[in-house]
Amino acid sequence: MKGRVKHLPRIQKTQQLAYELKIKEAMNKKVLTLSPEDTMLDVKKILKNRRISGIPIVQSKKLVGIVSIEDLIRCLSAGLMNEKIKNIMTAKVVALFSDEPLVHAINKFDRYGFGRFPVLDHDTGKLVGIVTKKDIIQCLLRALEIHYYAQESKRKHRYRADSLFKEILSDWTTLTMIYHVKGGDFKKAGEQSDRLKENLLKLGYSDEYIRRLIIAVLEAEMNLAIFTSGGNIIMQIERGKITVRVVDHGPGILDIELAMQPGYSTAPDFVRELGFGAGMGLPNIKNCTDEMRLESIVGKGTNLEFCIYN
Amino acid sequence: MKLKQIVKILEAEAITSMKVDLDIKIGGGSDLMSDVLFYAKPESMLLTGLTNIQVVYTASTAGIIAICFVRGKKPPKETIELAEKKKIALITTSLPMFESCGRLYKKGLLGTSEVEGVSKK
Amino acid sequence: MKLRELVKYLDLDVLAGKNLLGRNVSGGYAGDMLSDVLANSGKGNVWVTMQIHPNVLAVATTKDLSGILMTNGRKPEAETLRKAEEKKIPIMVSLLSTYKIVGRLYELGIR
Repeated sequence: MKGRVKHLPRIQKTQQLAYELKIKEAMNKKVLTLSPEDTMLDVKKILKNRRISGIPIVQSKKLVGIVSIEDLIRCLSAGLMNEKIKNIMTAKVVALFSDEPLVHAINKFDRYGFGRFPVLDHDTGKLVGIVTKKDIIQCLLRALEIHYYAQESKRKHRYRADSLFKEILSDWTTLTMIYHVKGGDFKKAGEQSDRLKENLLKLGYSDEYIRRLIIAVLEAEMNLAIFTSGGNIIMQIERGKITVRVVDHGPGILDIELAMQPGYSTAPDFVRELGFGAGMGLPNIKNCTDEMRLESIVGKGTNLEFCIYN
Repeated sequence: MKLKQIVKILEAEAITSMKVDLDIKIGGGSDLMSDVLFYAKPESMLLTGLTNIQVVYTASTAGIIAICFVRGKKPPKETIELAEKKKIALITTSLPMFESCGRLYKKGLLGTSEVEGVSKK
Repeated sequence: MKLRELVKYLDLDVLAGKNLLGRNVSGGYAGDMLSDVLANSGKGNVWVTMQIHPNVLAVATTKDLSGILMTNGRKPEAETLRKAEEKKIPIMVSLLSTYKIVGRLYELGIR
């Protein structure tokens, strides 16, 4: 339905990010490792000093096992601190690949209940990092923050048009721009919509808003070029909405209802060869805008008016 | 799909100076501008036989980031200049539209979903 | 491959020429510009397009195309469909985009 642009709720954005972000973006690349020939005393030293909860065991650069703080506690209470790691470690290691999406890591944390997963490179099979739940959360928060700031700066930018209307004291303030369109000039047709678009960008309107409005304006500009001897596009910006009036003194539209039907066109054949005249112009305008009004008198001219609220 | 991959699949030729690692998410083929405006999605590539300047205005409005001219069509200077200005990549292939769309679809470049318009949120 | 099979595999809506689906499809042609289709399409091709203007019938007849497949759910006017029956031109409609339908046709082996 045509309406205001809605902001995605934070939770949905988080879910989206969980699918988009890869484990390599969350993982800790500095992985501490031990060898299977080291002892549990070495494990105790590292886990304590580095304040980590587990450590991957590597032999000849390959991942051969993993030792967790739970394993350490068992060994402490059983007096097995001099044991070689290879006798204590879990050999069947559940690992993740660096190019997998974060959501796989989240699922694995859920399924296995482990605190950490080693991360392997898909192509070489080498250990390239380690990822904990905390890493995942921090990565998501960072991405959300970046997303939030991007939205904020867009909003701040947008504020330029808003602030213009807020600061000027009046009963009604409007900014009006007029664009002349020449009939039959296919070298230039489309240029005015483009200029109009540049202005909207400068005034800080959102991409989505501009897209809807410019589609409508471009269709109107093409109609002026194709069917009339020329006309004007008058854009009126005020607080809360932009209204566009397209006026010509051209041939006029014989049957407005027919003209609004998708697929109906009175365009001459040569226009079809240019990619126009498919009869979708007016229906497109109606679809993109919040309100539209079309009036025409044959022999006198046409008056098209549409607006989009913001 | 990366643009350089598309160029390879379609045995195409670059017209504008462009980033070859441009990521194209969706493909579409049409010679009708109003339909492009209605159906096109941002970050997509348009395959078309139309080379007039309005193709670039339309593409720019619709958020299309690359245009591939089929059937060996080469655009005139004005079209190329505007595309450079708008940072829309232009390539050309001698293959017809049918073969071009067929190959890209086969290689995994998705199309738009059924009957969606720009106004639907 | 026959038109009938395309209709089945691609779930097409047949709006004209229901009794002509036994025709063989020699290949496919995609494009919305009449002059281009006139110049480059092949006899027996199935024409994939969003163009619903009545002139499409003249093009189909002149080039002896096996049928016209309209995409994005586009339907021509009733008058055009009536003429299509008269001129024996099958008109089929798909909800998919030109790009997608061509992709599927290509997958079926149509060139």
